[in-house]
Amino acid sequence: MSYVILNGMYKDDSFIPRVNKMVSEELQRSNYAGDTVILHDKEIKPCLGCFKCWVQTPGICIIDDYGREVAKRMIQSDVLVYITPINYGGYSAELKKALDRSIGLLSPFFRVHEKEIHHETRYNEYPNLVVIGTLEKPNAEQEEIFTSLVKRNVLNLFSEKYSSQVIYNDDDNTTITKKIERSLAIVGEGNE
Amino acid sequence: MNKQLTFLMCSPRGEKSASHSIGFYLTSLFEEKGISVNSFSVYQTLKIQEEIEEMIISINESDIILISSPLYIDQAPYMTIKTMNIITDSFQQGKISKKERHLFAISNAGYLEYYHNNIALKIYEQFAKENEIIWAGGLPIGAAGTHAQYPIPEFLKMLEPLPKEDPRHEIYTKPTKLLDSVIRTSVDHLCKGEIVPKEELQKLEFVPMPLEAYIEGGNNGWLEAAEKLGTTDKLRDKPYER
Repeated sequence: MSYVILNGMYKDDSFIPRVNKMVSEELQRSNYAGDTVILHDKEIKPCLGCFKCWVQTPGICIIDDYGREVAKRMIQSDVLVYITPINYGGYSAELKKALDRSIGLLSPFFRVHEKEIHHETRYNEYPNLVVIGTLEKPNAEQEEIFTSLVKRNVLNLFSEKYSSQVIYNDDDNTTITKKIERSLAIVGEGNE
Repeated sequence: MNKQLTFLMCSPRGEKSASHSIGFYLTSLFEEKGISVNSFSVYQTLKIQEEIEEMIISINESDIILISSPLYIDQAPYMTIKTMNIITDSFQQGKISKKERHLFAISNAGYLEYYHNNIALKIYEQFAKENEIIWAGGLPIGAAGTHAQYPIPEFLKMLEPLPKEDPRHEIYTKPTKLLDSVIRTSVDHLCKGEIVPKEELQKLEFVPMPLEAYIEGGNNGWLEAAEKLGTTDKLRDKPYER
């Protein structure tokens, strides 16, 4: 079983590297093989909104940079992990830059899914999704938005199993470990 | 002194986008009411440091910030988030002073249903809260591609000659007139330094046509585009299949 962690931290973040390390170790303990992509280290240009990944070069972004590799790694993993500082309740700009470039993983065609319009799948299988957000301190409103965002993302990414978790910067290692274990257990077994 | 507004146009598609078309429609209404408007296309602005500084100066002097952005995977795209981060940093560095300032947002989804925009609008609200800006509300716009092709006033003029019984009135004229009315009322409130009442914005919370009809139209659009490019048989390719 394979995993990829998309790490959406900003350059000056000193907390997320610790969380990332603990997530990687837990995944490896559970016999997953994979690695982390530190997104701010990669050359990824912003999505042009051109939809050429849907109609001109179906499934492949026309921008030839690491954004293509991210999309490929996403769809080829069994477990996809996002780690991001929570920005106003949503994902970091760094994570979002990579995700915006991944829409070619879906078909352009629309369909009704869960009584709403969504895109059709391009692939037969999509990875299970674990999303870990970090906050300096508890923030009920932003945490609720973050949890809802992950749920909405799953409707668009077609993950069979998913979990979302918020970790605070002042959580101790035991708490962080428990939160990570809980998140990974959900995608490893039954869903929440 | 006249009120000032900073408009942040956040689509990478520039003039071809609904964010441009709807956003500039609002700014024209603000200007008619004597509001002074500075507009920034953030995909261009953020490439040049001097232009970023101009944007920050403009926000500092503004009473209203207007964001018009597309919806990419349930929230605003990268550049919109980056813009919000730059503004937040500028507040923290004291480059933007705290004063009574309103934020109004337009979120434009390609999907038919307005509610795909709900999370994006809540994120804008949190951005406002974090910077002590007054959240004045936002427009959750579905099927926004229509407005990219046809700006609201032109679209209404185009639909006017249709016979009364034409079904396009129900799915296009009625919702566009309602959107126009909500936009005008929102502009009125913002010009008076007021937030837009929730009941006004909630008028946009309806789905104007059966989902299947929108899907058929949208899917035919993709097929036509692919046909022109000679890629019809490749549309379902799986280039990264394991």
